[in-house]
Amino acid sequence: MVLSRFDQQKTKHQLFHVSLSLATILICMAYMQYRRNWEHLGSFWDSLIVPIVFIGELLKVLLAHFYGRIEDGVLTAKQRQKKAAYFTPREILGGLTLQFLCTLLYAFICIILGAPVLGNYEQTFVLSLLMTLLTVSPTVFLLGGGGALQVCFCEKPEFVTKCEDTALNLFKYNALGGILGAWAGSVVAPLDWGRDWQVYPIPNVIGALLGSALGNIYACTHVLYATVRMYMSKKRG
Amino acid sequence: MEEHKSRLGYTFFMLTFFLCGSIIFLIGFYPASYSFSAEKENSIPSDRPKVLHGLKLEPPPPSYDSFILLVIDALREDFPNATTMPVAYERACEKLSLHVDIPTVTMPRLKSITTGTLSNFIDIALNVGHTEQLDDSLLHRLKKQNRVATFAGDHTWIQLFPTEFTRHRANNDSFYVNDFYDGDKRVTESLNLELKRTDWTLMVLHYLGLDHIGHVESHASPKIIPKLNEMDEVVKRIVEYKNLTNYLLMLTGDHGMADGGGHGGNTPQETAVPLYLYSKNCSQSKSSSKLHRYNQIDLTPTLSILLSVEIPTMSIGCLIPEMLQSLSKEQQLYAYFYNAHHLMNRARVRLGHDQVHNTDYYGWYQEATQKHKQVILEEIESSSLVNYETAKLNYIRVAEKISVLLSESLIKFDYGFIALGLGLTTTASLHLLLSVLFLDITDQLQLNNVRALQLLISIGASLVFLVIGHLMNIIMTSSMLYSVLLIVPLSIAFYLGLDIVRALVKISLPPSSFPRLYSPRRLKLSLPLPKILFLCYAIRTFTLGSSSFIEYEYRTWYYLGNTLILLTALRTLRRRITKANVELDGRHLSKIASACLWQHRRIFVVLLLLILMRYVYRLHVIKSTLMIFSLFILWARLRKYSQSAQSVATAVGFAIIYAFRGLNGQVQFINISEFLASRLVVPTVLAFWICFALVLVLGYREALPQTNPPPHWTRSFVLQQLMQTNLVCSLMVSALLYNVRNIVLLPTLLITLNETYKLCDAFATSSSSHKFSVRLVHVYKIMMTIFVARMFYFYQGNSNSLSTIDLTPGYIGQSSYNPVIVGLFVTIHTYGAEIHSFLYLIIHTLRTSDLRGVGIMQMKPAYSTAADSLVVPLYATLIVLPVAFYLCLMVGFRYHLFIYSVFSPKVLYDCYTVLVFYIVFLMTSLYLKLFKNYKPEILHNLS
Repeated sequence: MVLSRFDQQKTKHQLFHVSLSLATILICMAYMQYRRNWEHLGSFWDSLIVPIVFIGELLKVLLAHFYGRIEDGVLTAKQRQKKAAYFTPREILGGLTLQFLCTLLYAFICIILGAPVLGNYEQTFVLSLLMTLLTVSPTVFLLGGGGALQVCFCEKPEFVTKCEDTALNLFKYNALGGILGAWAGSVVAPLDWGRDWQVYPIPNVIGALLGSALGNIYACTHVLYATVRMYMSKKRG
Repeated sequence: MEEHKSRLGYTFFMLTFFLCGSIIFLIGFYPASYSFSAEKENSIPSDRPKVLHGLKLEPPPPSYDSFILLVIDALREDFPNATTMPVAYERACEKLSLHVDIPTVTMPRLKSITTGTLSNFIDIALNVGHTEQLDDSLLHRLKKQNRVATFAGDHTWIQLFPTEFTRHRANNDSFYVNDFYDGDKRVTESLNLELKRTDWTLMVLHYLGLDHIGHVESHASPKIIPKLNEMDEVVKRIVEYKNLTNYLLMLTGDHGMADGGGHGGNTPQETAVPLYLYSKNCSQSKSSSKLHRYNQIDLTPTLSILLSVEIPTMSIGCLIPEMLQSLSKEQQLYAYFYNAHHLMNRARVRLGHDQVHNTDYYGWYQEATQKHKQVILEEIESSSLVNYETAKLNYIRVAEKISVLLSESLIKFDYGFIALGLGLTTTASLHLLLSVLFLDITDQLQLNNVRALQLLISIGASLVFLVIGHLMNIIMTSSMLYSVLLIVPLSIAFYLGLDIVRALVKISLPPSSFPRLYSPRRLKLSLPLPKILFLCYAIRTFTLGSSSFIEYEYRTWYYLGNTLILLTALRTLRRRITKANVELDGRHLSKIASACLWQHRRIFVVLLLLILMRYVYRLHVIKSTLMIFSLFILWARLRKYSQSAQSVATAVGFAIIYAFRGLNGQVQFINISEFLASRLVVPTVLAFWICFALVLVLGYREALPQTNPPPHWTRSFVLQQLMQTNLVCSLMVSALLYNVRNIVLLPTLLITLNETYKLCDAFATSSSSHKFSVRLVHVYKIMMTIFVARMFYFYQGNSNSLSTIDLTPGYIGQSSYNPVIVGLFVTIHTYGAEIHSFLYLIIHTLRTSDLRGVGIMQMKPAYSTAADSLVVPLYATLIVLPVAFYLCLMVGFRYHLFIYSVFSPKVLYDCYTVLVFYIVFLMTSLYLKLFKNYKPEILHNLS
């Protein structure tokens, strides 16, 4: 019974996915360590955090596609239709618009929560770009703009394949962790330590990265727990 | 029905207990007098020492014939300079800087200057109003020698020293802050009179104009420089007066002025004041670049030496070497010896003989006296110069060391009172919390009915406790009456504590263990506790433990409040979109989403407004337009609540407010001469009060029971009418009192609350259980109200520093200082946002019974009945809990470095918040109680 529920492919996918996320964040941390001075974290052209996270998310989507190939044969008509429409200009445009709107929304939220209105535009932009990359972009890359919207607002869309569902679940942890981390990062802002990394967006950027790392670790423990339980029951059996 | 039982009475008692507890706590934390230690201080010899190791010493005679202490209220360090006060700046013999201790308000500072001791923090509360007379000070000592001291200026001096001055001419009304010039003119007049006489030794002048300008118009007011010029004239007049030959003029400020004009806090601008010295034929200052810094309390012993009087017993200051230069070397050495000797005696009394004798400073003192003796014996010789310097340096370092030690040991807590106060506040708030959380089963938990047996037990317990305490000398009271009075709070705390313990045991015990005694099923929470709300609430409570978070508390509130509104908005939006999308199955999703967004556009407008409110202080340029605009919006909002006659009166009232501001020159208005304008101000305010009375009377006449009421006149309808009238009136008063640029906050507050409530309504239909889902909406709304109210409280410019209390609104339409009216107006102004939010919440709760289409109307239990059974108690609990927590924190932080600068003002603010809430709660519950039986009557009439 337990054995049948356990899906080796899925677990492999999950573990790869989580390790990709953690690796991305590790690379970010290493990069920050290498640069020493964190003041550049808020600038768009001078910081590599956004490109690193972008590549990491792309790799995760590619991973999902790689695992998705295996179940290509058992797709329903709707799923097939969706797959076919993936690279149409309409979908690409929709996806880009959605991400752009999300960036705007995040920038708005940043300003509501206390980012300066007159100034620090670049920093706000970088932060909201990072948040978009951590939360919305992976889903958009995976399913396209319309698909992402439906995942967000519908109960359970029919076109999502099993493998995509796995990835989406993991994206959720990533996104939630990122949002909470960035939100909680502001805690250092009022403290009177006088450190140069207390300047807005640095704690929020780092918080977002650490938060998504924690989210992934949480997801990872879930997967590992399920695996261990499976092995125990197998042994007992 | 059980859940409709009114809990107002219960809440009233709990709040009363809480307030009593916090007052007891404050009494214990800031003992108002040092009387219990003063008995021991009497053992300090008050005479000047005449003997040193068997050698006779001669105290120096007065070094000047006349001393003038010129105190300019709120003269901060950067005010006097070469341009603002040229004469004072150029001709000063010495320019020093004094460090002022907190609280930086006048009365404690005057105490420090005259007695040389640090003042108690609670003096700040006594600064306005009551002042105790001092027993010992420089002036007492002068009077003992029958020397003449005269005074002109701030009335506070006369309250402190009613009989010590030979002649005095105080301002009648030192607290009337709109007086910039008249009081100062009178001081200068009396200066001119006194200069002609020659009999006085000490003349004290205290000018208040600068402080008043700061309070009303901030530190950057254009009136400041002319005022400083006027003060410069005063200095010039004294310095150039021919008949004064041998004088010492000291120009100083009692405290500084914060950026913004207030004072009372701990910023460098408030705690640094200049001390400029002038005398004839002094060596002009060498214009040293670095100012020497001394403490304000150092002024007392130095002046005592110069005046040739005894140092006041309580003094713990050091000497200021620059001021002693007129003395001969021997005299100087005597001065240092005397002060060190005095401090040594104080240290012996305070810290104990044996302890003092084992310290290093005692060794220094011994060495200094030996060298001193040698100096006297050897007369002036080359070798004695070394001895002289060693003795002097040793004396100075002894004095400095002991001064620091003594000022640290001045902190005294009355732990008995603190424990009692904490016990009462903690038990009252926990009791309130438990009874709200287990709303439906309070009878089962037996929380809200008094049981005689338990009461007897707790009275007995507290009696035993008191007797044991007395026997073991832990509790000391001055009279029997006090110990009897102590029984009351003690037994209340015991009683509540027993209640809580029993309830907790019942809740935590497994259901089946004692089926006979306790309820057979497990007790469940009666309130839904949404995670996010309580996370934010917990963050808000626990960040009180950090001094930075208290200093920047507004940031916490803006962040959490906006987060809550945003999250609620996003959740509501998502829920709406999902719901609209169910049957469409993903097609046209973007269209639906944008339609829903458009439907909820208002909440985004509110969020934008909230961003704008952060920058409200920058909207200086368009303040006239802004004021008209916001008054209009406010009027349009209020029109919903009032009949046509009432709204006309409101409109006239608002027009008068604008005219009033125009007459004061704060907004653009028709040009009339200044004289006419100042004459018109009082009639204008009077006209406003007539409008106010009109609105009140019209509203009440409309709502009060009539002989033949229409059928829809239920209890909640009448109540709602009355409360609306109250809200309108309170908003009108606030509009009058609020600063011109802050008026925009009033309509914004109403709009924000309205829109957030709409968002919260969306939670009603989601949950499974009806009762629970109605309560969920209530909890959301209450929490949102608290957060929004606090956000607006801080938008207004309030903070946790005492220097941001705006005193100007207290004097609107007033021509003299009336403590009651000033207190009332300042309170309404400061806590306006909180008062209005609470009233609005109650009105909204009562109103929702006639809101259709939200889905709440059909619900059972009816929504509006929760006003007195749930909304008020929960609101009270949420207000009281953080305060109780903070009081506990205060005890933990009592030796913290920032205890008086950061934590103490906050505790005063917190307790005052509870008090204000208590008063508003009392008024509201009075209405709710009065109309309790309204409904059955009507039903009876109808049938």
